[in-house]
Amino acid sequence: MGDSTDLIRRHLEIAQDEQQRGRPVMGTLCSHVPVEILHAFDILPLRLWGQATEIGRADVLLQTYICPPVRHLMALGLSGRYDFLDGLIHTYCCDATCGLFNIWRRNRKLQFSRMVSLPYQATTEAVDYAAAEFRGLVEALAAFTGEPFSEKALTRSIRLYEEARGLLRDLYRLKQEGAPIPYSEIYRQNLLFQLLPIESFIAHCREYRPPAAAAVSIKQIRILLSGSVVADEEILERIEALGGEIVADDTCIGLRLLPGRIAENEDPLRALAAFYLERPPCASRADLPSRRRYLLSTIASAGAEAVIFIHQKFCDPHLSDHPLLKTTLEEQGIPQLQFELEGEGMTGQVQTRLEGFFEMLEGRAWS
Amino acid sequence: MELKKTRKRLQANKRLREIITDFYADGHRAKAEGRPVVWIPPMNGLIELFYAMDIHPVFPENWAPLCAAIGTNRQNFTSAAERGFSGDLCGYFRNNVGYALAGIEEANQPLGGLPKPDFLISFGAGCIPTQKTFQVLCDHFRVPVIRADLPQVAMEEIKEHHIRYGVVQTERIVRFLEEKTGHRLDMNRLRQAVVYTDEACRLWDEIMALRATVPAPFSAAEIGIMFVMVTRHGTKIAVDFLREVLAEVKEKVARGEGVIPHERLRLFWDNIPLWHNMAVFNYFEKWDAVVVAETYSAAWSLRLDPERPMETLVYKSLVSYPLVSCVSLEKRLELIVKAVREYKIDGAILHSNRSCKPISMGQMDIGRVLAEKLGCPSVMFDGDHMDGDRFSFAQFQTRIDAFMEMLLERKNL
Ligand code: SF4
Ligand code: SF4
Repeated sequence: MGDSTDLIRRHLEIAQDEQQRGRPVMGTLCSHVPVEILHAFDILPLRLWGQATEIGRADVLLQTYICPPVRHLMALGLSGRYDFLDGLIHTYCCDATCGLFNIWRRNRKLQFSRMVSLPYQATTEAVDYAAAEFRGLVEALAAFTGEPFSEKALTRSIRLYEEARGLLRDLYRLKQEGAPIPYSEIYRQNLLFQLLPIESFIAHCREYRPPAAAAVSIKQIRILLSGSVVADEEILERIEALGGEIVADDTCIGLRLLPGRIAENEDPLRALAAFYLERPPCASRADLPSRRRYLLSTIASAGAEAVIFIHQKFCDPHLSDHPLLKTTLEEQGIPQLQFELEGEGMTGQVQTRLEGFFEMLEGRAWS
Repeated sequence: MELKKTRKRLQANKRLREIITDFYADGHRAKAEGRPVVWIPPMNGLIELFYAMDIHPVFPENWAPLCAAIGTNRQNFTSAAERGFSGDLCGYFRNNVGYALAGIEEANQPLGGLPKPDFLISFGAGCIPTQKTFQVLCDHFRVPVIRADLPQVAMEEIKEHHIRYGVVQTERIVRFLEEKTGHRLDMNRLRQAVVYTDEACRLWDEIMALRATVPAPFSAAEIGIMFVMVTRHGTKIAVDFLREVLAEVKEKVARGEGVIPHERLRLFWDNIPLWHNMAVFNYFEKWDAVVVAETYSAAWSLRLDPERPMETLVYKSLVSYPLVSCVSLEKRLELIVKAVREYKIDGAILHSNRSCKPISMGQMDIGRVLAEKLGCPSVMFDGDHMDGDRFSFAQFQTRIDAFMEMLLERKNL
């Protein structure tokens, strides 16, 4: 296999190898895409996410006031990096990714593309509706692959994904119990969960052993990290180097994807729909009270002492929630830091803000 | 350039002013008479439902342009910023949140301000800023709230289950309203409201179609007439007003009278107008050019079926936002291409609107499609539909001047 960093570096190669062996590869733009369904058709789902690159390349198709991750992705798309994909699947989340999806599919000439429109609640009717959407996806994939849909295959795929989520939950649990697992490793495993064929991911994740505990020189402060896609490892490492122990997160590639179980002995599509709708709320899909409740309960269960919000410039869902979440935290006496990234990852300014925040936290701890 | 008012030339504008004043006065009357007030996003409005139940609907998204025209938007932006809301958020969001959280308490508001809501509907539908506006409002006003959804789906992909789910959600809203008001929804009244909306849409189409006449009888400077499409759907007020407009426009067409004396160029406008500076629509007159069609107008180009009031209203709600945004990009492109052909457009003005990502995304494609399919040139300028500080008239002028010269040259004029 290889270490996580190496696997991430090679993930496109791995996907293309799979494709050579006859497995179609489809890009996904949101973590609500029911990857189990793709897997049941023997399709490899491959999460696309923004990574620093020549962001300006996106300007021919996107305005500069669109969030950096979406511009990054568009730039990558235009560079031809994802031209090998057999298709692109999206679930409606924020406006920026919706626009990206539609602009991408008309400019990159995909063989297959589909937008799944999920409801915003988990009532019985909403689950029925989401199951109908999933059925639509199933029909489209059956037509595309020429293979019939098999409930049995879906049940098998669901079990594999459940196992993988279980392994990731274990990593968080170990970290919360004090194992010296760097959060950046958890982040990489989370990402690989969405990049590797699930069978390979399970094997890789099972092999992982936390490093031996190092002597800790500074007091560790337990941090909850919140944002959309937080993919800057340098920032994650910096937070931990400054004395923050990231014990939980509220991001699109993280803990939010892991809770819950998919009910068995039922129509598997409906069970899957219920699972996706009942998952913890993200800023794009939730109402404020449920976001608030989730944030506070995650803080409590992980024993977090402070929150760091890493937002992307121009990100409407998170930037509009933040002032209210901030007030909630203030009322609870939980310190928080927020900053916006502008497509450059770690900068001097981010570094200064982080240092200032930890100095303040240490000051509080002493007083 | 200082803030300027548009030069409006339709007589119907006098009546429009009365309708606007009366709509806001009606909100205060409702409060005084004990009729409930609900705040809703217009694009997902289901307005007919509220009128059929004697509930006064307030549309923050319609209040915002008024604030921009009058100039109170700046104070509202400041109030939102003071509460930590980013300046990069949509101007409607910043204005409406700032107004609801602070401005509403102040005396001397234009048109007497907005009456506070008695209950709220928090939608999972439409753009993120609208959804978030309502979440902030729900958090602030602490009145009864119902959370309802509508599928986010491109117009060309609407299937039966989308409508069915929309109907289930609408029925939930009805039950909530019935419980809160103690009154049952009268289906006959709802059907009547749908008849009015259908007639308003039909008249709207007829009026808009007349703009294909050369010379055009009126320009985008008069687009304020859409006020009735946003706030008075489901009522006779919209129908009567649009009939008046139609009659006036027909007369102008019969007389061969254009909105300007010597029309030479016909333009298309994409994206929301600059509510803080509607005078830019008149700026084109310098070259004898008229904006004769815009993306926005397509939002009401539909027919409704009074026999199936719920389904038809759900359909209207489902298509209104996708059609003008990046949700239905293909359909939107198709409509723009059609408009450019039918309205004999010489060039398109693409307002790249920093406030509104969903309507602005895809504009590069629009420009390219127009050029490739129809040989229709376009120009893009940076602006903001709510925030005058995000619009430079000097830059606008430089871009537009060059574009207009080019268009004239192309036509050998
Ligand atoms: S959630 Fe925010 S950061 Fe993520 S794609 Fe949407 S706008 Fe961009
Ligand atoms: S202007 Fe655009 S972003 Fe703002 S509320 Fe309307 S559709 Fe949403």
